[in-house]
Amino acid sequence: MAQHDSGGNGPALQTDRLGRRYGRVWGLRDCTLEIPAGAVAGLVGPNGAGKTTLLEMIIGLLEPTEGEVSIFGEASHAYHAATLARVGYVAQDHPLYRDFTVGDMFHLGRSMNPGWDQGLADARMGALGIPVKRKVKQLSGGQRAQVSLTMALAKRAPLLVLDEPVSSLDPVARQEFMREVTSAAAETGLTVIISSHVVSELERLCDWLIVLAGGHVQVAGPADDLIAQHRMGFEELVMSYLSEEAVTR
Amino acid sequence: MIWVSWRQHRSEALGCLAVLIGLAIYAVMVGTSMRTAFGHDGLASCLASGKGAAGCPNAVMTFTNDFGSEVNIAFWSVALIVPGLIGVLVGAPLIARELEFGTWRLAWSQSVPRARWLAVKLVLVSGGLVIVGAAMTAVITWYRAPMDQLTGRFQHNIYDFEGLVPTAYILCAFGFAVLAGLLIRRSIPAMIAAFIPWLAIRLVIEFLFRPHFLAPLTFTCGANNCNGTNGGYGISAIPPATGHIGDWVVSQTRSGFLYQPADRFWTFQFIEAGIFVALAAAALGAAVWLLHRRAA
Repeated sequence: MAQHDSGGNGPALQTDRLGRRYGRVWGLRDCTLEIPAGAVAGLVGPNGAGKTTLLEMIIGLLEPTEGEVSIFGEASHAYHAATLARVGYVAQDHPLYRDFTVGDMFHLGRSMNPGWDQGLADARMGALGIPVKRKVKQLSGGQRAQVSLTMALAKRAPLLVLDEPVSSLDPVARQEFMREVTSAAAETGLTVIISSHVVSELERLCDWLIVLAGGHVQVAGPADDLIAQHRMGFEELVMSYLSEEAVTR
Repeated sequence: MIWVSWRQHRSEALGCLAVLIGLAIYAVMVGTSMRTAFGHDGLASCLASGKGAAGCPNAVMTFTNDFGSEVNIAFWSVALIVPGLIGVLVGAPLIARELEFGTWRLAWSQSVPRARWLAVKLVLVSGGLVIVGAAMTAVITWYRAPMDQLTGRFQHNIYDFEGLVPTAYILCAFGFAVLAGLLIRRSIPAMIAAFIPWLAIRLVIEFLFRPHFLAPLTFTCGANNCNGTNGGYGISAIPPATGHIGDWVVSQTRSGFLYQPADRFWTFQFIEAGIFVALAAAALGAAVWLLHRRAA
């Protein structure tokens, strides 16, 4: 498998003046970013800031209007198999086919992904106590989130993208989900990008911070450096960039 | 992808199988008694003797009355809409369901690009629909076989159900519904939006274009040979004036009528099926192209 060999010291993700326009409105503009391999990057911003737009362009679900994305040094193109295969994606609200069993979902993953790791999927379900014969519609929200995460991990892609993964979960499920993400990132050296509008969730998880507001990147960099530089806490720091007068549009 | 397509459409496949089994049971029951009656009434010898030994017109009339060769509005209207219903029920949710439930984010973020995802599904599901259409056609053709000998196959309620056109009607409705599902993004409105134009095209072609697929032949009535005939389709009571069972009279003229000879049945079937398959291919091609081009 080639999933982690391109890690090295090069950046996992680079975007160059990335922009996406919806009709006359720019959903995101001038987004230039670099995330090092192995980082767990938190993407923070209010609703409508352009987080989902950015993430969908990164994973190849959306064609940029301008600019470019590259993952581990290779250019990404929307709708290309090679781009899609490089990223594991957990979409908001964890879409799964309701009348499929968990096993069916994994069968789908296996038949649509060349690098699929069935052993990993089965082991995770065993550890979490989710029966693979159960139908998706009989699972709790937390279990559905775990199945979605497992599908993204079993794809064995070097970059994992999570779009508001816990916003629909109760506090216990949130904590469990975040714990799983942390341990997966630590074990495999995955690069993770996780978006949220709830800042406190990201504090423990992330070592890299991107603040997005008004369709523009307000700040991006290593979380520790930013905190040291500004002499304030994580949440306070984020808020200072999101306050009305600070936002550049 | 083959497994994925099968898993997502297996309940539809089972539904089609159930309809087929119901149809086959009905066809075997009616078809068997029709065959018995056909033998009893000596209709085979009537057909062999051409213009009718004594008692033949009555025998034919009894048979057709019992088994209904006439254009039966109720039967015909069911026959008319069923292929369209099958097509839109299978086609509309194919993309629209993914958009409605948000599962497109899952389906299209696996390692198969969305255009290929759609193309593979369309090929497999269309293949399934061809099998369903062919099986339905085969069952109905078997069941109608004795009647077809008396009436020919050009009547509206026969022609529409035999040969190639039923399968082509299904594919066309399917193609329209897939495209409508992509554009409208909701299954039920997409079904309606696909069904209406399908029905309109279907009727316009049947009543305006089908009589003129090929230039009709002219038949001039002699002294007696048009008397008492409806000039029409079957032999019903009296053999048709043209002398061939199944000739289709498309219009009357002052001295006779214009007709399509019965042996053009397959030519007409190929022409009409070709039109509907081309419409289906255009709609499905447009859906793949649009899905590839535009952001969902």
